Amino acid sequence: MTDNNVMKGSAGTGLLVLSLLVMVAGFGYAAMNMAAHGHAAFNTDANVAWGQPISTYLYFALASSGLGLLAAVPLVFKVKEYYPVAKRCIFLAFIILISGMAVLAMELGHTFRMIWALPFGMQVQSAMFWMGVLYALDLLFLLWKFQRMEGRDWDSKTTLQIGIASFLGVLLASGNLALIFGMMSMRPFWFDPSLPIYFYLTGIASGMAALVFYTYLAYGFDRGKMPAALRQLMEGGLPKLFVTLLGITFLFIMVRMITGLYANAPEINLVWSDYILASPVYHISLWGGILLPFLLLLSPTLRVQPAVQVACAVLVFGGLFAERYFFVVGGQVIPLFKGTWAWDISQYAPSATEWSLTFMGAAMIFVLYVLGEKMFNLSDSPADTPSGASQPAGAKATA
Amino acid sequence: MAKWGMVIDLDKCTGCQACTTACSMENNTLPGENWQDVLYYHEGEYPSAQMKWLPRPCMQCEEPSCVHVCPTRATYKDDEAGGIVFIDWNKCIGCKYCMIACPYGVRFYADEQPLVEPDLKAAFPGEDGQLWSPPYQGPQEDWSRGIGIQPKGVVSKCTFCHHKVSQAPAGTPDLDEDDPDLKEYVPACVRTCPPKARYFGDLDNPESNVNKLIGNKRGVRLKDETGNRPQVYYLGAGANIPAFQRRQRS
Repeated sequence: MTDNNVMKGSAGTGLLVLSLLVMVAGFGYAAMNMAAHGHAAFNTDANVAWGQPISTYLYFALASSGLGLLAAVPLVFKVKEYYPVAKRCIFLAFIILISGMAVLAMELGHTFRMIWALPFGMQVQSAMFWMGVLYALDLLFLLWKFQRMEGRDWDSKTTLQIGIASFLGVLLASGNLALIFGMMSMRPFWFDPSLPIYFYLTGIASGMAALVFYTYLAYGFDRGKMPAALRQLMEGGLPKLFVTLLGITFLFIMVRMITGLYANAPEINLVWSDYILASPVYHISLWGGILLPFLLLLSPTLRVQPAVQVACAVLVFGGLFAERYFFVVGGQVIPLFKGTWAWDISQYAPSATEWSLTFMGAAMIFVLYVLGEKMFNLSDSPADTPSGASQPAGAKATA
Repeated sequence: MAKWGMVIDLDKCTGCQACTTACSMENNTLPGENWQDVLYYHEGEYPSAQMKWLPRPCMQCEEPSCVHVCPTRATYKDDEAGGIVFIDWNKCIGCKYCMIACPYGVRFYADEQPLVEPDLKAAFPGEDGQLWSPPYQGPQEDWSRGIGIQPKGVVSKCTFCHHKVSQAPAGTPDLDEDDPDLKEYVPACVRTCPPKARYFGDLDNPESNVNKLIGNKRGVRLKDETGNRPQVYYLGAGANIPAFQRRQRS
């Protein structure tokens, strides 16, 4: 079933070596600069305290959550058509979250202190405390669920319970991540009780893009090499779900944009008019990275073509990465209580060190992905499981 | 225990920045790391343009949003120390969430690019864990309260000169720099203010001068709509913040 997986062969090894080199170079460059200059290697300051490393983390964490939610389609809601991507979803969710955490670790002032200060502090009022707790649980459940799949236990009661726990964990983790921003009433651009919904939807869209890209990558972008059930999904339901998610994502962005432009408050209005929409990068990302793939996938003839699907996935990578960046930075560009010391909208552009952390995180995903494809059968599904081996002895089927 | 509060009379303040300088010297802060600052605002246009200014220490809020968001309890409000909000540099992980959550922009992460050249961190490289080590340093250092020169990777802020006010005799209603017996306990910004626009005292003591000033002269708190309830009050005209507007450089 998995013989056609090109990641198991020399192409995978080549990609592994290349991504490993990029990861090491990215880490080395960032570590060297940070050792020499501390966090002065970043372009963040008192006005824009959270820059691209935070938006990169946000992007990865939400893509991971999106993949976790997509995995729930077959594993919790029992839409069996999606079984062929369930295991890859879980694996990708795990490695993308790990990579995001690696980027975050490089951004924090004292990463290792966090390991004891967070649990001993028990500051339950802080959304960031809960982010640590919930994403740790998320990782744990992902790992546990993957372990059950690796044991080819797809349908036992325990697996279903782990799946439900993981689904709830993902909802809570990404919803709480939204509240880190959404509860900040002193930052009107972010302050929004519906932000968790926005994060869920955009998270699933970026998770879907990752799933499409990495599934095709595993088979050398040749759908003919995929197992039959997976091929059927990639030709049928999955691109329809992809276009639906992109449509909802685009709608949500438009709603935020229109309400933001209409608002009188400069902390919202000017962010949209004079920062986000004044940036050509944002326009390219929005129209080219979200609307264009949406329109392409609307066409029934185009959306089944592998090249179109992969191209749309790559465009969405860029579109949603920019969306996260402008969301994080946009919430801070109107100077807060600085008078004329901060003369204008705050200027921020990521430094080379910050970019190197983003590349490090992206390369880390590729490294872990290739290793995963080599070590596991990520296209495994119950249909491929030999009869009688789908449940451990004594387990009660619930499906 | 006292609940320390500050009153700033804007009708007397000349915006001279002596408070900012005194704070910087007392607490060894870096350029741009202005625990105390005077913010200037322009409103209107010629010929009816106005310039207003607001001295801005940490507000030591009664409901500090920075404390609520800190994931490790590194930022805490110490009611035993007069309600001052401190940062425990031994617990701070440098996530900067408090900088995001503070509506008054009074928190600083000095481990960043220098505001001015030469970079003092490079001129006086840090020793013994300090971010930088200038030749003169304040005699008091207490990392559990964020007093002294901070280590790398943590956030810093105004401490209401806790190292001074904590030495005041218990029950003192006001710390007045004109009282020879008390002047050493007065926060640096208050003590140095040339027009005596700043007052410092116990907000829990109904007889304190700060309470009388707030009551008699209609003291207000900035951005009170945030619910943070500052322990810093302003008197006089101009105690409001104009909305942000872009200005073109000429």
